[in-house]
Amino acid sequence: MKNKKYLYKGLAITFLTGLSFSNIACNDAYLDDVQNLGSFNTDLYFQNEQQSFSALVSTYDILRKYSGGFENSVTFFNAGSDDFFSGGGNSNDGAGIQGLNNYTINSNTIPASYWRDYYQGIARANLVIERVPGAKMSDELKKRYTAEAKVLRSLYYFELVRMFGNIPLILKSIKFDDDYWNIPQVKPAEVYAQIEGDIAAAIPDLMLTSSGNDKGRITQGTARAILGKIYLYDKKMPEAASQFAEVNGVPGGTSQYGYKLVANYADLFKVGPETTDPYKFSTESILEVMHTNKGNSDWGFWGQGKDEGNSINVMTGPRSYSLKNIPNNNAPDIYSGWAFNTVTVDLFNFMQGDPRLNTTIFNAKQFVTDGKISYSPAFADTGYFLNKYLPTNDLKTSLPGAAELNFRQNYIAIRLADTYLMEAEALGGNGARAQALLNAVRARVGLASVPVSIQAIKDERRRELAGEGHRWFDLVRWGDAPSKLAFKGFMSGKNEILPIPFNELPNTALHQNPGY
Amino acid sequence: MNVQISRSLGIIAALYFTANFNAQTAPADTVQKEQKIEEVVMIGYGTQKKSNVTGAISSIKASDIENIPAGKPEQVLQGRAAGVSVVTNSGQPGAAATVRVRGITSFGAGSNSPLWVVDGIVVDNIGWLNQSDIESIEVLKDGASAAIYGVSAAKGVILVTTKKGKKGRLNLSYNGFYGFANASKKLDLLDATQYANIINEGFVNDGGAPRFSNPESFGKGTDWQDAIFGTGEKSSHEVSITGGNEKSTYYTSFGYFDQTGIVMSDISYYKRLNARFNSTHKVTDYLTLGQTFAYTRIKSQGISANEEFGGPLASAVNLDPTTPVVVTDWSMVDPSAYTNQYIIRDPNGNPYGISPYVNQEMTNPRAFRYLQQGNNNWSDDFVGNVFAELKFLKNFTFKTSLNGKKSYWGSRSFSPKYYLSPNFSNTNFNSLNKVDENKFEWSMENTLTYQNRFGDHNLSVLLGQGVYRYNISGGTSLTYTNLPIENWQDASFNFNIPQDNITATGWDGIQTRKASYFGRIIYDYADKYLFTGTIRRDGSSKFATNQHWGTFPSMSLGWNINKENFWPENKVINTVKLRGGYGILGNDEMENFRFASFMVSGSNYTNSGNNIVIGYAPSTLENPNLKWEETSQLNIAADFKLFNNFTFTADWYKKKTTDILRQVNIPGYIGVPNLPWSNVGDMENSGLELELGYKKNWGDFGISVNGNFATIKNEVLRLEDDIEYFNLASFQTMGAVSRVAVGQPYGSFYGQTYSGVFQNQSQIDAYKNTNGQLLLPNAKPGDFIWQDNNGDGKIDDNDKVNLGSSIPKYTFGLTINLNYKNFDFMMFAQGQAGNKIFQGLRRLDMLDANYQTKVLDRWTGEGSTNDNPRVTRNDPNHNYSWMSNYYLQKGDYVRLKIIQLGYTIPQDVTTRFGMSKVRLYITGENVLTFTKYTGYDPEIAGRNNSEQDIIGVDRAYYPQARTFLIGANIQF
Repeated sequence: MKNKKYLYKGLAITFLTGLSFSNIACNDAYLDDVQNLGSFNTDLYFQNEQQSFSALVSTYDILRKYSGGFENSVTFFNAGSDDFFSGGGNSNDGAGIQGLNNYTINSNTIPASYWRDYYQGIARANLVIERVPGAKMSDELKKRYTAEAKVLRSLYYFELVRMFGNIPLILKSIKFDDDYWNIPQVKPAEVYAQIEGDIAAAIPDLMLTSSGNDKGRITQGTARAILGKIYLYDKKMPEAASQFAEVNGVPGGTSQYGYKLVANYADLFKVGPETTDPYKFSTESILEVMHTNKGNSDWGFWGQGKDEGNSINVMTGPRSYSLKNIPNNNAPDIYSGWAFNTVTVDLFNFMQGDPRLNTTIFNAKQFVTDGKISYSPAFADTGYFLNKYLPTNDLKTSLPGAAELNFRQNYIAIRLADTYLMEAEALGGNGARAQALLNAVRARVGLASVPVSIQAIKDERRRELAGEGHRWFDLVRWGDAPSKLAFKGFMSGKNEILPIPFNELPNTALHQNPGY
Repeated sequence: MNVQISRSLGIIAALYFTANFNAQTAPADTVQKEQKIEEVVMIGYGTQKKSNVTGAISSIKASDIENIPAGKPEQVLQGRAAGVSVVTNSGQPGAAATVRVRGITSFGAGSNSPLWVVDGIVVDNIGWLNQSDIESIEVLKDGASAAIYGVSAAKGVILVTTKKGKKGRLNLSYNGFYGFANASKKLDLLDATQYANIINEGFVNDGGAPRFSNPESFGKGTDWQDAIFGTGEKSSHEVSITGGNEKSTYYTSFGYFDQTGIVMSDISYYKRLNARFNSTHKVTDYLTLGQTFAYTRIKSQGISANEEFGGPLASAVNLDPTTPVVVTDWSMVDPSAYTNQYIIRDPNGNPYGISPYVNQEMTNPRAFRYLQQGNNNWSDDFVGNVFAELKFLKNFTFKTSLNGKKSYWGSRSFSPKYYLSPNFSNTNFNSLNKVDENKFEWSMENTLTYQNRFGDHNLSVLLGQGVYRYNISGGTSLTYTNLPIENWQDASFNFNIPQDNITATGWDGIQTRKASYFGRIIYDYADKYLFTGTIRRDGSSKFATNQHWGTFPSMSLGWNINKENFWPENKVINTVKLRGGYGILGNDEMENFRFASFMVSGSNYTNSGNNIVIGYAPSTLENPNLKWEETSQLNIAADFKLFNNFTFTADWYKKKTTDILRQVNIPGYIGVPNLPWSNVGDMENSGLELELGYKKNWGDFGISVNGNFATIKNEVLRLEDDIEYFNLASFQTMGAVSRVAVGQPYGSFYGQTYSGVFQNQSQIDAYKNTNGQLLLPNAKPGDFIWQDNNGDGKIDDNDKVNLGSSIPKYTFGLTINLNYKNFDFMMFAQGQAGNKIFQGLRRLDMLDANYQTKVLDRWTGEGSTNDNPRVTRNDPNHNYSWMSNYYLQKGDYVRLKIIQLGYTIPQDVTTRFGMSKVRLYITGENVLTFTKYTGYDPEIAGRNNSEQDIIGVDRAYYPQARTFLIGANIQF
């Protein structure tokens, strides 16, 4: 039979094939021989400096919480203060920010990210602190990376403790087999003690100052400013004052870390060319959150790790803004935004006559009256907008990402004028140094000296730092919130801290904050 | 290992081609008259006599479906088999259908789609298949039947067998149709005058001034639905050639399907080209080789089919009728809104109207169309297998088969500079994008079958083994911006542009592997006592090494009572079979590598040089204990043949899925961005399935009727400890409208309830709690009387209650075939009942969006109505902004899906033209729909692939078209 040879061949091959595959299938190695391309097994990570650096970068990433994403803390806490309303499209535009505006905020409406994001930073810092010492890199760098991670972890704990008060203190990586459901909250004092100690211990290992691509990293100056601020909130005034003194140096002069007030107040909020922006990392900047349009941020990952744009910009722009076609129109060419953080009339009045008024507040009402612009008044419209971060058309990204999400203005979380005033406050608002610090802040904008006092410092902070996200925390720290925020519904003994997001509670040992 | 594999592949391929060549040259054989054999059904790795089947298998033959003009092959299953629910994803051309076997099996990560097995090849869908190529479809519904597919089978298994050649003379046949389609229903929306009056009333009711001084001046205004709906076309041409001899048989077919949509047909279309080559070769008496191969090319474009955030459908429903489609009368609009240079104009140079009131994502659909032109999606699929079957030692058969599917797909789109409204514009730069993706999946299976008969004992034993590799895939996306052109016709990647204007990304798929052993024993004694036992052991790379393997056993029994001696032959109950089975099935559908912790990129930051630095951080908490999700199913059934002409089957089942693989909540303080995976969650489905058939011939007249009816009860049994629900569908600013709650069916609607409308202030003042406080202090006459359902003296989120299920309790189908001499008639109806539909057609955040005419029945004063609230813009009582039973409607419907009349030209006429059969027919599709639902279409699937099981939420659904076709079947 002529096909017989095929028969034998066929027989041989079918069996051979069958056997060879059975061989494979028997073996777990066949099933294990797949690769999770593009990622690294955590147990095998932290081999070298590059990997350690990338893990450290992810720890820094959380700094973006101040000014990136819809749920950024600057617009959120501005909305809680007496300087701003929530604003936005309507009274439902952002349940969290609207809830903080009128103090109806509860555990369901508070965005969980205010709790979760900082804990992500903490978990990443814990991993760096545990694993970098085992990497192949210089001991000096190991110490520095670990110190930076410790300062960042402390900063994130500080943000959590001043927002939520009662929080779990986790200082090591959590594994799947840990009993992570039963981690209790600790007293705020315990958190403060831990983070104050951590920063103090980390300072010697940090860079004195930074330059080049290291700008924006945690330096000794940054760490001392953070530590001073933490002491201030922890009511350890002498300790706070001494840290600030190291940061501030001679009022009005250049400190040991090179810090100096910039000459022109308005420069603090300017944005330069994409390639070399002279306004970033000024001498006044101590902790600066970096933004760029190069992330090509898009709606799909807005507010997540890859999103690198500043969201305060688009959120604070007036809606449907357009310039009227008249000669010599000097109104700014604003990119239409979403009208959040409309300025209260109270702040507008408070800043009358202050040289910082026009840098701080955009008087849209006046431009409309003058026939130069039109815009759609939205929720809680007052006609006044926060000018420090207004998005203008020339700052729209030139790259493919959505214009709204790719504004590249940096946000300065701690600047020298802030630490001057915090030191003056820590000094009790009296004495020659406190007076000198206050004078320096006022002199920079051409204002004459006023006698130093706690009230003078409070007023100066309100004007100098308006809209930069500090006011609400200041009011709570001073105990002024119940009176100043009564018109918004602030309840004393409850609203000083926020509710823990509802989804964080089930099955855990956490207790909701009182009153929520 | 790889060397071995490729060598084996090479030899098999060589062997196959040699054999094929030999077979082709073998002399033709004489045709043998085929013997009438008992009906058999495919059971997975084999066949079985229908009378001896012990599982719940629904079988659909080519003759049942060959004249159904479905756009996608899976749609032919609709209404055919009890317990198999098929919901067409939309009326968009080329839309797939969501197929569910005995309900939603799991609420884990994976799709609830059944396992598709085409000629033994496991594939992710059958959208590439040519309908005429289908020989039979078998749905393995119960656990015992599906268990032979083990870990992949929990959601049911659908076996598709394609046509093979038959020995005999060459047979050429043609099937084709052509027809027109239009929308069977339009919504009743307000005209411009009505609209202006209602908007005015909203302002006045809130204490403001009316907006429009003279509503009557607008007249009827624009009917935006007219601007989008049109006539679609549908055509199909299929040619097949079969033939063969004793040694070789072959089947070859080509098909072309072309459909344009009823909504903006130039940007909503689907074209498919198919080719298939199947052949089988008996190399010797012992060795058979065979192959199947299919190629499919698809090109399509679509619009948002069920999406409240934009697209022509949502725009047509929401746009105000006072805005013209094209601006011709400048006195009707504000010219300053039309100054942008990138405004879109019609061929006469007039700008398309821009609504001053309704914008955001809502745009003039005529202008929107301009942005979409030239964009398309495409795919090339190659699916095939080769097998060798060796018979030896009389009772043994060894079969080895190699199966593969290689797919290429992608898209191309151009975005010009445009200005559709202040909120919807792109005036920066144009961009041209293309995406190219590819995927290869293959498997190899070896089976050994032993079959023998010992007196009355029939035994068949199967042993098998397989290895599978999935998702060997990757892709790239390339975008050019700032091209020196203005329209899509000129857009090309041939333009040389600066590197800064080029963006490219690429990705690799993560491979999944499986390995399996399986065995089955089928035994019967004298065709009376039937037994099937199956066991399958599967290993999957998705689990940690010590959790790789899972074992899935099953067993079923049957008893053909009528074959007992005591059974008297009678004319009432001709045959009775009792059968039942129990099986455990698995599911491993989830992301890869969730058993270990991985550092992933994406937690990036910027450095001071304005550059991105990439950060790495753990994505989630690992779970090395992850294991299979298990579905156990009990099936009890009886089959009858009654009065010689009736068949009746009743199946009862209970299906319970435990340890559902899903992402679970963990405390945020663990500090990972993504939720980890765990085996948490149980769900149960149970139901009754009835199938009734009747067939009778009286001389020239013949009738056959097939009906089926199924009930389903779904209940979520368990979620994480202390967690009672999670939210499912959400709608704009309303938030969640349905949820998955313990004790309720999956996807139950959840919201407030109202008992009526406040007719006057004194009713509001009297609506108090026990402390004398007003329950609804913000209410005005005409607002809803919200109920304090939990009785706590205040009305808030805690008063929400379950408002009904999105899952139909009943589904049914009915097919009637009549024939008289050369005429044939077919009617097919299907439907569902017992579900609710959420109607989210009007955008809540757009206060000026148009309304349906139902708003004309609003409350206008004391005694006017107790059903509909007043019109208000501020809506202080949340009449419109709260999820409530106000938004829900019954989803019951019966649809006359197909009606067909055919005429076969007498054979003595056709043979003169060399044709053995010519049948001409006319078909009506979706002819009539009986429903009380007021939206476009009550058959509403999920809005996209990842939300397939979030059904019954109408966000402006692309309705199915009413189509009339003429067609022909010709055989040579």
